[in-house]
Order: sequence, then structure tokens, then C-alpha cells
Amino acid sequence: MNNPTFSSPSALSHIWLLARFELTKRFNSRSGIVALIAFIMVWSVILIYPVKEAASIIMQPSFKEFMAAVFGPTTLDQLFNWKVAEFAVFWVAALYLFPLFSIFISADQFSSDKQRGTLRFISLRVSRNSLFLGRFIGQILIQSILILLTLVAAIALIMSRDSSLLLPALNTAMIIFASILIVVLPYIAMMALLSIIANSARQASIFAVILWIIVSLIITLVNVQFPGFNVIGYLLPGSQLSDMVNTQGIAAFAYAPIPLLQTVVILLIGRMVMQRSAL
Amino acid sequence: MNLIHCKQLSKSYNGKPALDKVDISLVSGAPIALVGPNGAGKTTLFSILCGYIKPSAGEVTILGEAIGSPKLKGLLSALPQDAQLDPDCSIVSQLKLFAELQGIKGKAAKLEAMRVLELVDLVNVAKARPKSLSHGMSKRVSIAQALIGSPKLVLLDEPTAGLDPVNTKKIRQIVREQSEHTTFVISSHNLDELEKLCDQVIYLEAGRLKQSLSIHTAQDVDYLTLIMKKADMAAVHQALLGLTAITKVSQSANNQFIIEYPTQSDFTLEQQLFSVLAQHQWQYKSIMKGRTLEDTLFSS
Repeated sequence: MNNPTFSSPSALSHIWLLARFELTKRFNSRSGIVALIAFIMVWSVILIYPVKEAASIIMQPSFKEFMAAVFGPTTLDQLFNWKVAEFAVFWVAALYLFPLFSIFISADQFSSDKQRGTLRFISLRVSRNSLFLGRFIGQILIQSILILLTLVAAIALIMSRDSSLLLPALNTAMIIFASILIVVLPYIAMMALLSIIANSARQASIFAVILWIIVSLIITLVNVQFPGFNVIGYLLPGSQLSDMVNTQGIAAFAYAPIPLLQTVVILLIGRMVMQRSAL
Repeated sequence: MNLIHCKQLSKSYNGKPALDKVDISLVSGAPIALVGPNGAGKTTLFSILCGYIKPSAGEVTILGEAIGSPKLKGLLSALPQDAQLDPDCSIVSQLKLFAELQGIKGKAAKLEAMRVLELVDLVNVAKARPKSLSHGMSKRVSIAQALIGSPKLVLLDEPTAGLDPVNTKKIRQIVREQSEHTTFVISSHNLDELEKLCDQVIYLEAGRLKQSLSIHTAQDVDYLTLIMKKADMAAVHQALLGLTAITKVSQSANNQFIIEYPTQSDFTLEQQLFSVLAQHQWQYKSIMKGRTLEDTLFSS
């Protein structure tokens, strides 16, 4: 038998190998397929009913006047500036649904594997940093594919109405893809962190719910006590979402620094927890 | 080569010591046994060596490197106690990933995964998922995992616990075959098995290092272990004490005697022993030169 010695790969290739494995695992395993089917069904319903129906309503001038009368002239005015009306509804749905999906889909980045001891096999071969980042990037790839899938379906829906909208639709879809991906980053990072602490995916999701409620409460209390201290609101991932609803196109990127900064901070904390936890 | 070096290594959980100032120095070569009762600190020691937990105090180096050093990746491997593969991914895909993480690329990674599965006789379940395997089979897959890339040091925590005799023998055979280029450190409660494999034995008790001894080194005193069939054990004991040139006779089990004597090169003692047995028509079951590991560890 030969006894070859291999040079250990770089941290970057470790991260890539782990991310790729996460991706294939998600779309290869039975639980992954079930989750994917559920995801497709939810989005099919959203696309076929609200998106398709609402787009035809939005395009009627009387509706715009109605909304301005109910919510005020500047609250939702951007909703009517979308070049492709379907994307106006898609945008609002995606802004809230993708963070929600990402919490549940990425809830088990480490917990089950830690409980089972699977991480012990991996940590003998890669550094904990690579393990942490590899899994995180794997989840980004999974979310990217899911966002792309829904966008492709939305474009197909738009094409069925008016095929001349292909170019503006593609253009808008790319911007939405990047915006939504940036929005979900801190959620995936938060679930990476929580799933190191939690003993199961379910517990990680429960931690997430508790964390969001408690932090929201604290933010509200601080805002009541110190009205000038609004910045604290940006501690929580998703705090910018309600403002983002009334943006469209490139303008949405004005909010990108918030989730990007949150992601960096959460990842740094997660890395620290990962280094210190017993596997 | 200096394999494992621990200096004043301690680990406590909530103030309760699991390892207490352990000094160990091990060199590469024949398999090394790590023995001790439940809760002695064996798994804690392994977990520190693998970098799963951090010691509370003390220093450890493996192959001259600090624990967690990137230089150790691929050189140190382990069968962690109770660790399982991901139940949802095929066995071969996970072993292939491990091989790739160790720097084996593309097709070679798959070949390496199949090679280690072949070693544990489990090529036929390569495509299966770990949840469909029996306890013994998953243990063997975990051992296969530890052999990927032919590492320099493999730590096996209870490798044969829960395995049937056929598979236990198989594991022993693998360890023996791989020992040419890999040093194994094996923790087990099965002293008979360790005796067959290992030369050096480390005995931990209550977190402390009690003994570190070599089974096969030449010493001034030698032992004969005599196991009798049905006989009057008290009379046998009395007769054995009458042998010349012996230091001590002790009865380690109901029908088992250990005769301690100054090392000699001829067979006078054995000849004497046989004449005594023949004289009384006592049937013996076995006579062994030396002592069992159990008797060696627990005689004093």
C-alpha cells in the first residue's frame, strides 16, 4: 500500500470545500428536498395570487390615489415607480419572507453536528475558523439559489403577461437579488452563532425568536426613555426592513451598510464562540 | 520521535478535576494502551489531544507542535468516542470530503475513501447513509475515517466497545497492519486485547497518572502464570511454594497462580513445576511466561 503524504490545503480551499458540501447536502438529502418543495409551494402561491393579481391592481391609477389617501402621499409612493409592477409586490413579500426562511433553513448550521460529534471528525482536519466560515458561506450559496429560483419564476410570470418587459425585468431582478441577499446575511450569521450555542435546530430557532423579541423590547424601551438614541435600533437584523419597503431599484442599496455591518459584528462574535466552545 | 508530550496537564469541570497534573511522554512506535476505570480521565485526555476541549493548565505538544497547529492537520487523526457521521449524507461522500480536506484532490479523494472502507470490510455500504448501519458497522466506518491519508498518530477511544468478537479481531488486525507507519494510542477496558497489541501501557486513575510501563521490557524478575483445571487450590499453592529459586507465589484468581522468580535463562523452574504437577496428577489449563496485563496493573 502506498503511503502518500499530502500538504494540507489552504484555509480558503477548506472554506470552499465545506461550503460546497453544505450546498450539495441541502439539495441532496431528503429533509432538504422536503424543505425545498415547501419553499417552492409557498412561493408559487405568492407568485400566482398576490403578485399576479396585485400587479394588475397597482397598474390602475385609481389605486395609487387610494393608497396616497390612506397612507399619505410619500409613505408608499415608491411602490408605483417599479418598471415592472409584479416586482413591486414581489419586493415587499421577499423583504419579509426571505429573512424568515433564512432563519429556519440555516438554523442547523452546527447544532445537530455538534450534538452527534460530527464536528469532531471535521475539526481534526480544518481550523475552527474555516469550519465556521465554510458553513456560513454554504448557507449563503443555498439562499442565493433560493432567491434566484423565485426571481426566475417571477420573470416567467411577467413574460406570460408582456414579453417586451424581459430586459427591464432582468435588470430589476439582478438588483433585487443583490439587495435581498444582503438583507439575509445578518440572519444567516445570527443563526450560525445561535446554532453553536443551541443543542438542536429547533432550539436555535427558539433562541432566534426569543432574541428578536427581547432585543425589540429593549430597543422600544430605550427609544421611549431616550428618544434621541435611535441608532440602537440598528442593533437588530431587519430593523431597516420597514424603511426598505418604500424603496426601489438601486436606491435600496443605501440601506446595505446596516446589514453588512451587522453581519461582520455577528460573525466576529460567532467566531469567538466557536473558538471557545467544546466540541 | 517525540509523539505526545504532556507536562502538568490538568483539566477540571466546574472545579472538579478530570485530569490532575498529568505528565506523559510517548514516542512513536508500537501501539500504546491507555487504561483506567470509568471516569479516570481517558476521554478527557483524548479530547484535549484532539483539540475538542482546552486544558485548564499545563502544556501539551503532539509531534512537537502545539495542539490546534495547522501543521498537525492530516497528521493526527482520531476515533472520538460516540461521534457519528451525518445521518443524511452517504458514507462515501463524507469520507471523500474528509480526504479532500486533508489535501487529497478529486478522484484520488474518492479512491482514498474506498481504500479505507476496504480496510474495514465495508465497501458494500459506501453509498448507504450512516443511519442504516448497525452499531458495529458505524464504529468500523468511524475507524475507517481515522485512517484516511495514513496519519502519523491515531487516537482510538474504545475502538472495540460493542463489537462482536469477529469484528474485534478485524480491528486488531487493522491496527497491527497500519502500525508500520502509524502510531496508535488506544483506550479500552479490554485488557486482553490491549495486551495483544500494545507494548507501552499508561494507567490513569481519578485523573492522575498511576503507572506507565512497558509490557515487554526485560526486568530482573520474571513471572509464570499458571492456570489450573480442577484441583485442590490450597494444596497447589502449598506445593508451588515448595519450588526452589522462586520469590513469591500469589493466587490472582480462584484457579490462577502467579509465580515470581529471578530471571533465569534455562528451564529449571518449568521442569520443577511439571514434576510437581505430574507427582500430584494435577491437570493444568495453561502456563504462560509473564503476567497478564490485568495482573501487571492490579497486582500491587
